[in-house]
Amino acid sequence: MRPLTLERLLLRCGLLALILFGVVVVSLKMGAVQVSLYGLGRDLIQVLLGRSSAISTDYGMIVLDIRLPRILLGIVVGASLSVAGASFQALLRNPLADPYVLGISSGAALGAIIALIAETHMAISPELAGLITPFGAFIGAAVTIAAVYLLGMRDGQIESSTLLLGGIISASFLSAVIMFLMTTLSGSNLRGTAFWMMGDLSTPQPKSLLYLVGIGFVVAAGAIYTTSSDLNLLLAGEKEAMHLGVEVSRVRIVVYIAASLLTGLAVSVSGTIGYVGLLVPHVMRLIWGSDHRMLIPASALGGAIALVVADTLARTVTAPSELSVGAMTAMAGAPLFIYLLRRRIA
Amino acid sequence: MLGNISHSSRQGRFVPRFRCKSGLRAILLVFALLFLRAEKITAQANAANPSAAQPTHEVVDEVNRTVRVPLVPMRIVSLAPNLTETVYALGLQDRLVGDTDYCDYPPEAQKKPKVGGAINPNLEQIAALRPDLVLVTKDLNRLDTVRALDTLGIPSYSTDAAHTIDGIISSTEKLADILGAAQAGKVVGDDLHHRLATLQEKLRSVPATHVLFVVWTEPLISAGRNTFIADALRKAGAISIVDSTQDWPQMSLEEVVHLQPDYLVFAAAHAAEGTRDFEALVNRPGWHLLDAVRNRHYAVISDAVNRPAPRIISAIEDLARQLHPASFQDSRSPEKEIVPTNSTSPAHHPRAALFTPDSFGGACLTESACAL
Repeated sequence: MRPLTLERLLLRCGLLALILFGVVVVSLKMGAVQVSLYGLGRDLIQVLLGRSSAISTDYGMIVLDIRLPRILLGIVVGASLSVAGASFQALLRNPLADPYVLGISSGAALGAIIALIAETHMAISPELAGLITPFGAFIGAAVTIAAVYLLGMRDGQIESSTLLLGGIISASFLSAVIMFLMTTLSGSNLRGTAFWMMGDLSTPQPKSLLYLVGIGFVVAAGAIYTTSSDLNLLLAGEKEAMHLGVEVSRVRIVVYIAASLLTGLAVSVSGTIGYVGLLVPHVMRLIWGSDHRMLIPASALGGAIALVVADTLARTVTAPSELSVGAMTAMAGAPLFIYLLRRRIA
Repeated sequence: MLGNISHSSRQGRFVPRFRCKSGLRAILLVFALLFLRAEKITAQANAANPSAAQPTHEVVDEVNRTVRVPLVPMRIVSLAPNLTETVYALGLQDRLVGDTDYCDYPPEAQKKPKVGGAINPNLEQIAALRPDLVLVTKDLNRLDTVRALDTLGIPSYSTDAAHTIDGIISSTEKLADILGAAQAGKVVGDDLHHRLATLQEKLRSVPATHVLFVVWTEPLISAGRNTFIADALRKAGAISIVDSTQDWPQMSLEEVVHLQPDYLVFAAAHAAEGTRDFEALVNRPGWHLLDAVRNRHYAVISDAVNRPAPRIISAIEDLARQLHPASFQDSRSPEKEIVPTNSTSPAHHPRAALFTPDSFGGACLTESACAL
């Protein structure tokens, strides 16, 4: 493989960004309500020029107020999950690591459900009510991450196989608790949670929350990117990295916290979406190698592309009914994962 | 993997971070710009909303939200099958511009533009129908959906979860009021009350039959005491053997055998379907321990009983007739002809929607159908 140069990096990122842009345009066009490509292009240009009054009202509402925020949400969530997945895989030196497998998503789901239950028993102003569930999800993710981290510790060292097993066990335990709660409490608010647990981008989130997630992504992904050279060395093993001058414990803390933040934020607005965090980094690694200076931005863009495509399919395949995007990623992701697995063995 | 690392370390430490991040930032900036513009546009769009010209008023819905709705909503979207049925029962179907995939009654409701399922309706599709009022119910719809509609500036009215038959009737009248058809609501409500009273009169002297209402056969799920189904059973001269505070308790066979219901009650779209459910249960191990199964004591009623809409009264009457045939033998109640006046579409007959016998194998479902 040829060495990574700055030009090559920018070229590849640019290519992915271009693909993402194309996917976004197509996704803006597609949906339950028909929109012509010509009309879409004309209106987007008008929006950028600030002449928005030329757009008809309900058309503007559908494309700009329903579809575009949803696509932007998909971009941020997909990018967050993929970067988190790539980081966990490097940190634990295990190709199976991803937020879903580590139980973090289940923890977030449980947090969200507890928040929903609490919400029905409290009188909360409607502005705050929309933020309670995401907040609960974030707390759930954070607590699970801490618990799984402690489970994975052995003599002050992280043992990646123990951590993964701890994550898997936590995930199944948390799912059982969720089932218990959903069976014993038959409030109407819980009905949506089954849908939510499959991953869902269809619910518009409060604007403030979207900005928060966007800023969180930039900060956390930036923090992970500053450690990308260290992550490369970590792949050789923790001792080896230490001998080469890497502050292993600092890198571990930074990456773990940042990746957890990414996961918590993503799950809090979209529910549990599997396979994106697992597969996108693998695919990017296959194409461009495992240099994290390339892998992390590529994963971010690739994850965004993958999730926007999956969500576009989820809302168009059975229109006007919607599939959950988590079902879509699992349906496409599981066979792809098996293919990659067999390929690696062969 | 190792090969790559040695490459990169051989490469030395170039610092691509900032350049690449600025590229990303530029992309994000473009989208952020689009996003901000989008917000501005919606604000303008909402200001220019034609429905603003319509006279509106503030009402408190059944879940205690204060909502501003048009005095006479002309473009209604219903997000629940029972609400769709109620709109038809009130004779307001011409103002219904969309409903869900599950709105299958009356059959014409299936032809209305669909907005997806009740739990995950398609917001785009709803917005495209330009509704001036969206009807939701706490029973079925998600809070998230209501919040999303609020964000889009589309008014919604929510009914509460129904617990009693009287509650269903008063909810129907209230909804009629909101839809600007109070008169039609009163006519429908009075008729339902009258039929219930007639029924109670007939059943006054008979003891209540102990029944097991089968919501689902595998696993066996029945209805708890706080559901409107339990109340429907009471109104039909029956009492559920299940006394659970859970709304949809999963029952063990042991418990059912211990409680020994006199009758099993099935709800089905077609009578044959209910019979099939019964046969399936009979053939399962252990079920012959039930007297009701051995004696083939079972009743099949319309699945209207599962929906808190006016049609549930017909299902109640039907069940009463099956459980207490003796009370219905001599008396053939003279049908009171009520033709509700309807301001919007006088040609329509609300009774038609209420009483149309569905595909129910020719079974005599309602009093009026029998009288005819």
